[in-house]
Amino acid sequence: MSEVQISLCAYAKLLSHVVQYPYAAVNGILLTKDEKQGEDELLNIVDCVPLFHYNIPLAPMLTVALTQIEEYASNRDMKICGYYHANEYHSDNDVGPIATRIADKIAENCDSSCLIMVENEELNHIATSLPLTAFLPVWTNDRIDWKSCGKPALQFGQKGYGIGPEIIKKQIYRSLIDMDSHYDDISLHWDNAALNEVVKLYAEGLMGS
Amino acid sequence: AEVSTQSTGWPEIRNTLRAWRKENIRCSDKTVELGEYALQHYSASLGNEKWAVYEQVCIAALDMCPAKMKLVNKCIQVLSEQFPSSLRVSMLEGLKFEYLKKWDAALEMYDGMIEYEPTFPAPYKRKVAIFKAQNKIVDAVNELNKYLGTFSCDHESWLELADIYTTQQNYTKALFCVEEVLLQYPHNHLYHQRYADILFTLGGKENLEMSCKYYSKAAELNPGNVRALF
Repeated sequence: MSEVQISLCAYAKLLSHVVQYPYAAVNGILLTKDEKQGEDELLNIVDCVPLFHYNIPLAPMLTVALTQIEEYASNRDMKICGYYHANEYHSDNDVGPIATRIADKIAENCDSSCLIMVENEELNHIATSLPLTAFLPVWTNDRIDWKSCGKPALQFGQKGYGIGPEIIKKQIYRSLIDMDSHYDDISLHWDNAALNEVVKLYAEGLMGS
Repeated sequence: AEVSTQSTGWPEIRNTLRAWRKENIRCSDKTVELGEYALQHYSASLGNEKWAVYEQVCIAALDMCPAKMKLVNKCIQVLSEQFPSSLRVSMLEGLKFEYLKKWDAALEMYDGMIEYEPTFPAPYKRKVAIFKAQNKIVDAVNELNKYLGTFSCDHESWLELADIYTTQQNYTKALFCVEEVLLQYPHNHLYHQRYADILFTLGGKENLEMSCKYYSKAAELNPGNVRALF
């Protein structure tokens, strides 16, 4: 049983980010509702903010972005709850040092957090499964070990998988704005309101069927 | 602005393809869509430019394989007939080997090209790309350093090496690479900003002070550089 659930909206943005920059490593921040969470409760990722597709290991823009995202999230009753990362190379699905460092920092500053790694080789099967693996932090003295808890559950379950091929067929991923694009052109906003609307309509379609 | 074969006129399609070739922009799906359309419907209007478009479409189609393998083969065939024994066309065949993960065949091809024409930089760089694709980072770095020993003015390669060092968290060496680029392009705000980013990441009082100076320089050169302003 999965301990992490991801909403259709967050998954759509995450997948769009990966597909938009297939030649690069990408990363982003995961958000959850700002509510008290019991220890055994599912970590429910409701949204995400795509961060970078270039110069991921460099600190300054990450610091600025996290400050902006924290402010954005708290104004919408959300909080930062994790980090996602897709490696550059197709066959590399390991949790590398960069992903670990950033995820560690987030875990140190959040009550509950997770790390989601994109399984590049699974991107061929998005019609039938999520190309993601979730990791939860296990604290040992001062260290954090990231322990895999399998694939996260997707909102709407199997019915929701259809959003993956939809994003690629209708080229919805083209409209995604990440932090790098925002810093290149500040008039573009990284909340991706338009993409949120598209996913909302798709979700309403699923609820109706 | 969104460019598509449905909504855009011919001159704009041609200009877009030109701009993407000039600035080395990687948007393979759009390049294949526009390029294929241009070659099918406007081959005569392209004139001699069509060979460059064939090359551009071939490289973009390799990103879209296996779906576009027929297009790749067609481009290579057309270019081979037009330019027999061309090194640039051989590069495309090497790229195809790389896509098929036939690393030894690709390396053999590139080594042959280097022996035939040691001043042609492209095969050296593809060898580095092959090592990167196999996650052999040490080999990639060694190969790139060897290349830069001969072609020390290739700023693109210095930046590539800086990127590799950054992902390996070897920030001191990354700084050295960006310094080489700054020597050649002291008025480029992006390189000052990159230098500052690495200094900031390295940390420490002196590095942070120095990074502020480089951010200020970047902002002075381009007041629109948001990263430097932050």
